[in-house]
Amino acid sequence: MLNRRTLLGSLGAVLLLPGRARAATVVDSAGRSISVPARVERVFPAGPPAAILLYTLAPDLLIGWPRPNREEECEYMLPDICARPEVGRITGRGNTANLEVVLAFKPDLILDVGAIAPTFVSLASRVQEQTGIPYALLDGRFDAIVPTYRTLGALAHRSAAVESLAQYAEDTMTTIKGRIAGIPAEQRPKVYYARGPRGLETGLAGSINVEIIEFMGVRNVASQRPGGLALVSIEQVLLWNPDVIITIDRDFAAGVRHDPLWNAVNAVRDGRVHLSPKVPFGWVDFPPSVNRLIGLWWLAKIIYPELFPEDLRALTRDFYTLFYHRTPTDVQIEHVLAGRD
Amino acid sequence: MSRSAAPGFAVALTVLVIGVLIAFTVGRYPIALSDLFSVILGKLSGRPPDVPPIVENVIWQVRGPRVIAAALVGAALAVAGTAFQGLFRNPLVSPDILGASSGAALGAVLGIFFSLGVLAIQSLAFVGGLLAVAAVYLIGSAVRSRDPVLVLVLTGVVIGALLGAGVGLVKYLADPYNQLPAMTFWLLGSLAATTLSDLLPLFGPVAAGTLVLIALRWRMNVMSLPDEEARALGVPTGPLRVVIVAAATLVTSASVATAGIIGWVGLVVPHMARSLVGPDFARLIPAAALLGGGFLLVIDTVARTGAAIEIPLGILTAVVGTPFFIWLLTSVSRTWS
Amino acid sequence: MKLEAHSLAIGYSDRLVGRDLDVVLATGEVLALLGPNGSGKTTLLKTLLGLLVPKAGEVRLDDRRLGSYDSRERARLVAYVPQSHQATFAFTVETIVLMGRTAHGNLFSRPTVSDRAVAARSLERFGIAHLRDRPYTMISGGERQLALLARALAQEPRFIVLDEPTASLDFGNQGKVMREIRSLAASGHGVLFTTHDPNHALRAADRAYLLRDGSRIADGPVSSVLTCEQLTALYGATVEQVTDASAGTSAFLPG
Repeated sequence: MLNRRTLLGSLGAVLLLPGRARAATVVDSAGRSISVPARVERVFPAGPPAAILLYTLAPDLLIGWPRPNREEECEYMLPDICARPEVGRITGRGNTANLEVVLAFKPDLILDVGAIAPTFVSLASRVQEQTGIPYALLDGRFDAIVPTYRTLGALAHRSAAVESLAQYAEDTMTTIKGRIAGIPAEQRPKVYYARGPRGLETGLAGSINVEIIEFMGVRNVASQRPGGLALVSIEQVLLWNPDVIITIDRDFAAGVRHDPLWNAVNAVRDGRVHLSPKVPFGWVDFPPSVNRLIGLWWLAKIIYPELFPEDLRALTRDFYTLFYHRTPTDVQIEHVLAGRD
Repeated sequence: MSRSAAPGFAVALTVLVIGVLIAFTVGRYPIALSDLFSVILGKLSGRPPDVPPIVENVIWQVRGPRVIAAALVGAALAVAGTAFQGLFRNPLVSPDILGASSGAALGAVLGIFFSLGVLAIQSLAFVGGLLAVAAVYLIGSAVRSRDPVLVLVLTGVVIGALLGAGVGLVKYLADPYNQLPAMTFWLLGSLAATTLSDLLPLFGPVAAGTLVLIALRWRMNVMSLPDEEARALGVPTGPLRVVIVAAATLVTSASVATAGIIGWVGLVVPHMARSLVGPDFARLIPAAALLGGGFLLVIDTVARTGAAIEIPLGILTAVVGTPFFIWLLTSVSRTWS
Repeated sequence: MKLEAHSLAIGYSDRLVGRDLDVVLATGEVLALLGPNGSGKTTLLKTLLGLLVPKAGEVRLDDRRLGSYDSRERARLVAYVPQSHQATFAFTVETIVLMGRTAHGNLFSRPTVSDRAVAARSLERFGIAHLRDRPYTMISGGERQLALLARALAQEPRFIVLDEPTASLDFGNQGKVMREIRSLAASGHGVLFTTHDPNHALRAADRAYLLRDGSRIADGPVSSVLTCEQLTALYGATVEQVTDASAGTSAFLPG
């Protein structure tokens, strides 16, 4: 028979258990107050940057991926988490998730990482109203990685665990920024970012595609105008004559050395055309999330080799272990650095 | 003899020549007219010209292919548009009316979606355009009607819409970071990436189709009459229509496969040509070829020099074509009823 | 030479329009085809021209099956003058008439000097040589009909078939076209025309063929076929005949 004393006693014991998560109110990057439940066990990622960010901090909470991962990518991640189902995406470009499907997954929280423009803020509020699930919108800009991580830590009740990741990010960015601060403008190389099979798609000033390239303080040759992506002609590239070319397209990287036209470009002539690694997630351009942190080291060594003597293999191993929760073998590291799929 | 077409042809030829000269000398990379002449002279005489090798390279490898491609595509689209305007008895018709552009677009975005190489994407676009028109023709001929031309147009509209929906679906499913921008750029039309190796697959079909249409120009006048009248005059309209549509489609598909979707050239240039040389197709088709080449050359030159980034051709032709067309519609037109 | 049809059944793929029709047209004579709307006149015309396939029976041209001619051969023997229409493109009258020479060249041929001479003669014949360089879209209905007549003549055919040649013409031009039809027969052509007006048939034709609901009601010389009784039966409405005894001419009026 339950008597009041037993009931009160048990209740008191439960409430006073140490380290137990409590329902909380967290302010997201858009200034919205999110009521987070006491237990957060299932989180729905609204898009690829959210999925990656969440995976790095709390892979067990990730319900699934916006698009399914390939086998080659899963070799670098926790296999069972990597294999979680496809859930579509709610926001950003390419909206494919059905809200009923979202509800069927019974998330405790919807996480969105990206632009904080009013469009996305209103989307967040709308989805939250319709589904009754708290929808947190975090700043996806590269510069905001550290505060974004800390906010995520509060939301997922992992404030302690997030510190190692946030600290790594902070240290990396501070170190690199510090070393390049002293370089005079004329010694900063001209960099061209080549996308597409012919290498004629590029990112304009401030576009998310060249965020970390511009972080390195180099002169993006296409930065005369702000914007997103644009097409240019080979003539324009010849005129710009970049010192370094960063590309993500393997066919372009392979073929450019044999192309008589491109050979007139300094970067090609000097052998400074670099193919970005991409497994399990791209190091330079997309998806635009913390996967690009290791890309910073890669870029630093390419652009200012004398200033960054660190061993890229060791850096890769440490980053993958800490962020992707799986230590790659030496063979795997070589595979990654070669820019293979 | 009715009024001579010679002055009209002279104008069309002048536009083409000026277009070529401007295209070769104007560009992001500074090249003087004198450099151009010395490089050409050098090629002819066998002696190396005294310009830096980079200039020579730009002229032969960059501007050269681009100029040839722009002239070919412009001529092709103009001639196809002229032929279709005659065939469909409607001055408001463009080469896209039977769905060639939509079919080519679907082929290209599918190629991008499956991450195929550039050559594969172009081939898929070319084949897509041909298949689309073949489907329209097959379905159209299965419908028995007194007016075979109207049936073709309606079928073309329907199939074009279906293919357009297909393109939309592929864009929806595409990876928005990587594939979608590539599809968008392709669909807006550009000659930015034209190289020498692109020219041969372009030149073959365009030359074949254009020559056929030019050879048939004397019969085009009759083909623009109602079907029964044309047959009574001794022209086998059924087979001839197939040949004309096939030639125009060959030409349109090759153009779209190389340069993406470029509208308005096939609609506007035939009218400009008509105001120069009159409505007789025997003169109109060659004049349209010359004028179309020159027109697209000028537009492409603006596309690549207007800003550091490329302005898509499809947008420029629309910006130029629309006001021109409105002017055409509102001005007293002597050339149509 | 004769253009003739025996036991002809005419129609389209989905329906039968007329049957058991026997028609004969010889060079040098004019045959008028009369009938109410929907009688099958135009279908019969197009079948005789080879533009429609007979559903039964056959059409013979110069004692050869019409179907055995290809369109070029046929166009050199039979010419078609449709009702004058609004054209889409403003070709000059000369260009229009030159189109008549198409059957005399091959697929890629351009008009020759002799082609242009034939076209010029044809324009002269119908008195419209002064309209040579005028756009087709800027001449009157009557002039357009004459241009189409000139085009037919330029084909140098033996037979000329006209579909309601006076349909959109003013009164004066109607007479003019009828006179031309007579003169074409006089120059040795066989002429067949459809009309809604029995008076035109009376003035211009040698023989008449009356068609109602796809069946032949009567055919023969104009004087015996074009009577009040026959026309009443044909149109299903009363028809009056008015005669000028002194001139010996008569005309029909709708009753």
